[in-house]
Amino acid sequence: MTHQSHAYHMVKPSPWPLTGALSALLMTSGLAMWFHFHSMTLLMLGLLTNTLTMYQWWRDVTRESTYQGHHTPPVQKGLRYGMILFITSEVFFFAGFFWAFYHSSLAPTPQLGGHWPPTGITPLNPLEVPLLNTSVLLASGVSITWAHHSLMENNRNQMIQALLITILLGLYFTLLQASEYFEAPFTISDGIYGSTFFVATGFHGLHVIIGSTFLTICFIRQLMFHFTSKHHFGFEAAAWYWHFVDVVWLFLYVSIYWWGS
Amino acid sequence: MHTQDSEVVPVPAWPFSLVVFSCGGCWSVTAKMLRNLLALRQIGQRTISTASRRHFKNKVPEKQKLFQEDDEIPLYLKGGVADALLYRATMILTVGGTAYAIYELAVASFPKKQE
Repeated sequence: MTHQSHAYHMVKPSPWPLTGALSALLMTSGLAMWFHFHSMTLLMLGLLTNTLTMYQWWRDVTRESTYQGHHTPPVQKGLRYGMILFITSEVFFFAGFFWAFYHSSLAPTPQLGGHWPPTGITPLNPLEVPLLNTSVLLASGVSITWAHHSLMENNRNQMIQALLITILLGLYFTLLQASEYFEAPFTISDGIYGSTFFVATGFHGLHVIIGSTFLTICFIRQLMFHFTSKHHFGFEAAAWYWHFVDVVWLFLYVSIYWWGS
Repeated sequence: MHTQDSEVVPVPAWPFSLVVFSCGGCWSVTAKMLRNLLALRQIGQRTISTASRRHFKNKVPEKQKLFQEDDEIPLYLKGGVADALLYRATMILTVGGTAYAIYELAVASFPKKQE
């Protein structure tokens, strides 16, 4: 057997791309079964197998990096590029929904009453819970930066503390937003206002949950001593994603909540 | 790539040296250092309970040894019995679920005519 003479990571064969693809099939066909035949079995099976795939795939990435040492500097560079490209693709994803919002709100049709918000819609007061939500996410941006600096300065306890605060703020945002959804005087089926509002803020909320989950994984890994002061890309990726989620909210707040009221 | 002999291939020691110093065996030293640091800073900052520190021992070196064993076991099964159970469950659910999805597709493709 020979050792590799390069610094790159030639990944070993893995079953997770297959199970991931099959879980995608089960989720999509499950949606069709739910919409048309009132059965949630396939959908639940798809969600379960998707979760199992993600858990095992990312568990294996941790094993390859922290336990086997495959994440050399060139490999880490590739991962950085990858995360940046992924976040960029998500920016374009949200750009579509902002486009839809501005398309309808900049030139409101006569059917809406010729103005925005449309007739019959009482928008949420931007200075109440939405403003609190803004402060919560901005504060979480500060706390995650604190966590990062603590990590780089090898301050274990402060890093754990700051990351925990970040996660709790994320959860607080989610709970506040859920309460807003429940209390809102309009629904997703209330014309184009309802559609643009709930689809844009809804996808954002989903990304907050994803980001909070990513941060929680980082929290567990930090407790388990996986991160060092010099090498902690998983955490950096989570932090980038979290800042992205925060920026999207700022655009949502200014566009839909504030200008849109 | 596998090594010829069965020795553990070490990852560069320097990122982990800091981790080793804060391992379970050195908590008392770390605790004393931290208390002095706090006293010096004279800020009303409180640390969270130190009890949490005693719950977590650094098991990374053990894991490194386990996952670098030259035993030809694939990575996704190298952790032990739990890996095999989880793998088997995932495979059964995905492949079985795919078969079920194709079955439902077949059923949906031939709707029952109303008499």
